[in-house]
Amino acid sequence: MLLNLIPHLINGLALGLLFALLALGFMLIIGVMEVINLAHGSLFTIGAYVALAVMAPDGGLPYAFMEPYYALPAIPRYLIALVVGPLVAGAVGMGLELCLRRTYGSDPLYGLLLTFGAALVLEELIREIWGSSEYYLPVPQQISGGFIAGNLIYSTYRIYAAVFAAGMIGVLWLFLNKTPYGAVIKAGAHDSEMVRALGYNLTRLRLLVFGFGAALAGIAGVIMAPIWGIRPVVGVDAVIPAFVIIVLGGVGSFWGAVSAGIMVGLVVALTAAFLTDWSLLSMYLLLLAVVTFRSRGLAGKSSVLEA
Amino acid sequence: MAMDYEPKQTTAWITGPIALSLVVFGTLPLWIESIGLYQYLGVEVLIWVIFALGYNLLLGYTGLPSFGHGAFLGIGAYAFGLAQFEVWPNLWFCLIAAFVVTGLFGAATALFLSHRRGIYFALMTIAFGQIYYFIASKWTDVTHGEDGLLNIARLPVDLGVVELPLAGNAQLYYLCFAVYAVLVLLLWRLTNSPYGRVLRAIKQNETRVAFVGYPVGLYKWSVFTLSCGIAGIAGALFAMAQEGAYINVMSLQWSGIIVLMVLIGGGFVSFWGPVFGVILYFVARDVLGAYTETWLLWFGLMFVVLVIFKPDGLAGMWHDLMRRVQPRPAPVTASKAEG
Amino acid sequence: MSKSTFTRRSFLQTSLLAGTAGGATLFGPWKHTRVHAAASDKPIRIGLTHDASGQFANSGQAERRGTEMAIAEFNEAGGVLGRRIDAVWMDTETNPQTGTRVAERMITRENVHFLVGAIQSGAANAISQVAQKYGCIYFNTNSSSPTEAGKNCHRVKFVWDGNGENFSKAAARNAIQTFGKKWFLIYNDYVWGQNTNEATKKVALNYGAEVVDEVPIPVGTRDWSSVLLRIQQANPDVVAAAVGGDDFKVMRQQVRDMKLDGKPAWINNQQDWPDIYGLGADAAFGVFGTTWYHYLDLPGVSDFVKRYQERYPTTRINVPGNVTYNGYVAMRELLRVVAEVGSTDNIKIIKALEGRVMKAADRMQHHDAVIDADSHHVQQTIYLAQGNPKPKDDTDYFQILSSSDPDSIRADAGKECKLETYADTPNYDQG
Repeated sequence: MLLNLIPHLINGLALGLLFALLALGFMLIIGVMEVINLAHGSLFTIGAYVALAVMAPDGGLPYAFMEPYYALPAIPRYLIALVVGPLVAGAVGMGLELCLRRTYGSDPLYGLLLTFGAALVLEELIREIWGSSEYYLPVPQQISGGFIAGNLIYSTYRIYAAVFAAGMIGVLWLFLNKTPYGAVIKAGAHDSEMVRALGYNLTRLRLLVFGFGAALAGIAGVIMAPIWGIRPVVGVDAVIPAFVIIVLGGVGSFWGAVSAGIMVGLVVALTAAFLTDWSLLSMYLLLLAVVTFRSRGLAGKSSVLEA
Repeated sequence: MAMDYEPKQTTAWITGPIALSLVVFGTLPLWIESIGLYQYLGVEVLIWVIFALGYNLLLGYTGLPSFGHGAFLGIGAYAFGLAQFEVWPNLWFCLIAAFVVTGLFGAATALFLSHRRGIYFALMTIAFGQIYYFIASKWTDVTHGEDGLLNIARLPVDLGVVELPLAGNAQLYYLCFAVYAVLVLLLWRLTNSPYGRVLRAIKQNETRVAFVGYPVGLYKWSVFTLSCGIAGIAGALFAMAQEGAYINVMSLQWSGIIVLMVLIGGGFVSFWGPVFGVILYFVARDVLGAYTETWLLWFGLMFVVLVIFKPDGLAGMWHDLMRRVQPRPAPVTASKAEG
Repeated sequence: MSKSTFTRRSFLQTSLLAGTAGGATLFGPWKHTRVHAAASDKPIRIGLTHDASGQFANSGQAERRGTEMAIAEFNEAGGVLGRRIDAVWMDTETNPQTGTRVAERMITRENVHFLVGAIQSGAANAISQVAQKYGCIYFNTNSSSPTEAGKNCHRVKFVWDGNGENFSKAAARNAIQTFGKKWFLIYNDYVWGQNTNEATKKVALNYGAEVVDEVPIPVGTRDWSSVLLRIQQANPDVVAAAVGGDDFKVMRQQVRDMKLDGKPAWINNQQDWPDIYGLGADAAFGVFGTTWYHYLDLPGVSDFVKRYQERYPTTRINVPGNVTYNGYVAMRELLRVVAEVGSTDNIKIIKALEGRVMKAADRMQHHDAVIDADSHHVQQTIYLAQGNPKPKDDTDYFQILSSSDPDSIRADAGKECKLETYADTPNYDQG
C-alpha cells in the first residue's frame, strides 16, 4: 500500500509545481497592481496558441510563406515557441494594462470586471482566428513519450514540465530578490507611493509588471499545452486553480503561492487516485478549510484588497 | 466617493420610476411581439430582473461582490422542482419552499462569508459557487445532473375560488410581473430604510460603521441571506419558465454574467441599474445573436469600453444626460428624482 | 411579421384575461382556424438549433454543415412540394437554458415548421420539451445519451444518433473475446457516463468479464495522471471508458503522452469526427464506435464526400464525418417525408416517420435502419473502429473493424420511453 502511494506523491508534486507556475503571473499582478486579472486564463491560452503557430505547420501561420521555417528541426522551433509565446502574451498584457489605467484608484472590483470582459473578448478572438477545434502541440521527441519506472510508465514530458516549472520558480525568486528591478517591484507591491518618492516611474513600472505577469501566464500556456491540449476555452482551466492557489497561499506572498500550489497538486493527485469522484471538489474544500482558520491564507498580509 | 447612490432617503412608497416600470412591464406582453420580440423573452428578462435586483442588494448597496450567486438561482430551481414532486404541488407552497430553502443555504454560506471583505469575499464566493455546482452535478439522484430535473409543471395560481393556469408564456409572465411588483416596492422601502442606510455605509467604510457600534457581520449575513432568498424565488420562476431545472446557471460563467449585467446597467449608482443591465443583455444577445456568431465578442467589447469610460453604467449615463438636459436645481429638492 | 399562424394548444383557450376588453385580442381565445390559402408559395422554414459556442461548438457546426447541405440539395432540385426551404439558424450554446429560449423563439417568432439539431443531451432535451408543448417536430441529430430516446423521449422528438448503450454493446462483446477478461471501468460522473457505464458493465459481465475496478471521474477533470497511474497499478486487460466532451480530449492527450494507448486495450464509447479531426491517426486510441466513416466501402460514399467538399471547400474539416452525416441523413429524411405526406402537418409526419425503414444503400451503411415506433430512436448500424495503422491519406484515421446490425445492439433504454399520445400532442402546422 505504502509503495503504491509513492508514485502518486511524486505525481502530486509534479502537478503542484505546474500549478505553482500557473499561479505565478497571477500572483505578481495581484501583488503589485492589486488587480485580479481574470484574463490570466486568456493570456495563458494565447501563449499556447502562439506556441502552436510556431511549432505546427497547420497552426495558424500562412504555411506557404513559412515553409522554409517549418523545415527547421523541432528543438529550435520549440525554443522559439518558449520565447515568442510569452512575448506575445506579454504584449497583449501590456495592452490590457493600458486599458486598466483609468480604473486605478477606484474600487478594485472594476479592474476585476474589466479583465473579465477582456477574457470574453480574447476568447472570442481566438475562436475567430483558430476556430473551435482541438489542437495538439507537437514537442521535440526528446521530451515526449513515456519512460518505465519499476512496473509503471510515466510521462517524460511531465517530468520535464515539472523541472521547468521549478526552474522558473527559482529564476523568478532570484529576479525578485537579488536584482534591483526585483527590489523596485517588491517595493511597488508594498507601497506604491514609496516607489514614486524614490523617483521611479510608477506608470512604467506597472506597465512592465503587468506585461511580465502576462508573459508568465503565456509561458505556463506553452508548458501546459501538451498536457491539456489546446482549445479556446482552455484558459478557464488555468484561471480557476490560479485563483484558488492565490487565496490559499495568501495574497502577496511568493512562497505562500508556491507552497499552496504544491499543496493543491498533492491534494488533487491523492484524491484523484483514491477518492476519484471528489478530486475536483477537494481543491475547494481545502481552500475552505484553510481560509476558515487562517483568513488571509497560509502567508497573506493585509492589503488594500480587503477594503 | 464619486460613485454612489443619491445620499438622501425617500419615504415615498411609489416614486415616478417605480410607477413607470410598473406600466412598462405591466403592458409588455401587449407590445413585445410588435417590436419583433417574443413572449418568452419577456418572461426570461423579468425573472433575471428579479434575480438581479436581489443581487444588487449585495453588490451595489453593500459593496459585496459575490461571484457565486448563480448557484443560488440553481438551488431555487431545484428546490421548487423537488417541492413540487416530493411534497405538495401547490404554487404558493413551492414558491415559499424555494425562498426558504435557498435562503437557508444562503444563511449557512453567509456564516463563512460575513466577516470577509472585498476580494477575499469574492474569492470565497467563487469557492462556494463551485462547491454547490459540483454537488449538483454529482448528486444525480436528486438533481439529475446534466440532464436536468425535468418536467417541472407550471403550477396554476390557486386563488381559492379560481385557478388561473400559467401554461402560456404571457400568463406566466403576469405571475412574474406580480412578483416583480411586490419585490420592487419592498426593496425600494428596504433600501431607503435605516437598514438600507447601514448597508450603504458598510459599502463606504466598513471599519467606521463597526466603530460606531453597528454589528457589521450581522448586517452582511442578513443581506446575503435575503439576496439568496430572492435568488431562490427567481430560480423557482425560472424552473417554471423552462419547465425544468438545469445545472448550467450554477456555473462560474453565469455567476460572472450576472455581475456583468448589474454593472453594465449601473447597479453601483442606481436602484434601477440591474433592470437596465438585464434588459440590455438579453435584448443584445437576442438581436445580435441572430445576426452574428460572435455576438459575445461585441458584447464583451462593449462591456470593456463601458468599464473603462463609464464605469457607472447605463444608469450613470442617464444621470449625466439628465444633468445636462436640466441643470441641477438646488440640492434640497434634487433627491426626489433618485433613479 | 405574421403572428401565431399555428393552432395552439387547447390550454391557451382558457385564458388568464379572456373577456377583459384590452387583453382579449392578445390572450385568446386562439380559435383561428387559419386557412393557408397561399401556402404553396410560402417557403418551408426549418429552425436549426446547432451549437456554435460552448463545449460542443465544433460538433455543432459540423452537423450544421450536414443539415444545410441536405437543404441546399433539395432547393437545387426545386424544393419540396414546390416550395423553397428556408433555414433559420440560432446558436444554442451547448446549454439547456439557451436551448429553451431558442426553441421558444423559433416557434413563436420565426414560425418554423420543424426544429433540427443537437449535440448535448441537456440542450436537446430542453428543446424537445418546448417542441412537445407546441407540437413542433424536433430532430435530435447527434446527442447520444440513452435517456434521449428513453425516459426523456417525446412524441415530437426523433433521435438520429446511436446511443451510448448501442456503442457499448457493440464494443464490449468484441473486446472481451479479443483482449481479455480483466476490465477496469472509468466513466464521467454524470447521467450519460453513469448510464453508459452501467450498460457496458452489464454486457461485459454477461460475457464473463471480471471488473477489477470502477472509477467515477468528475466532469471537468483536467488531470488524468493519478487515474492513469491507478489503472497501471491495477494492471487490467481492458479499460472501458465512458468519458465525453473536453474531458475525453484531455484524457486522450494524456494517455497518448504517457504512451499508454497500447496496453491495456482501451474501449472508448464513441469517437465523434470533429473531436479528432486534425490531430492525426494516432490520436484515435483504443477501440471505439461510430455510425459512419468516409472510407466505408459502400456505393454512394465517395460521391457524398465529393459533394461535401464542393459545398465546403474552405472548411478545416475537409471530409464529412459521423456528425455531419447524421445531420445530413436526418434532414434529408425529414424533407422526403414532407414530400411523401404532402403537407407539413405534424401528426401526419410523425405517423409517417414511426416505424419507417430506411434502406442500407440509401443511408450508406451496412444494414437497414428503422425508426423505432415506440421510442423514436433510429436503430442503425454501429461500426467498431480503431486508429488506422496504415492510413491511405492524411484523413484516413480509422480502421473499421466490424459492423453490428441494429437488432444485436438494441438499447434497453428504449423500454423506459413512454411517448405522449397523439391526442396529448398539440396539432402544429405553420402552413
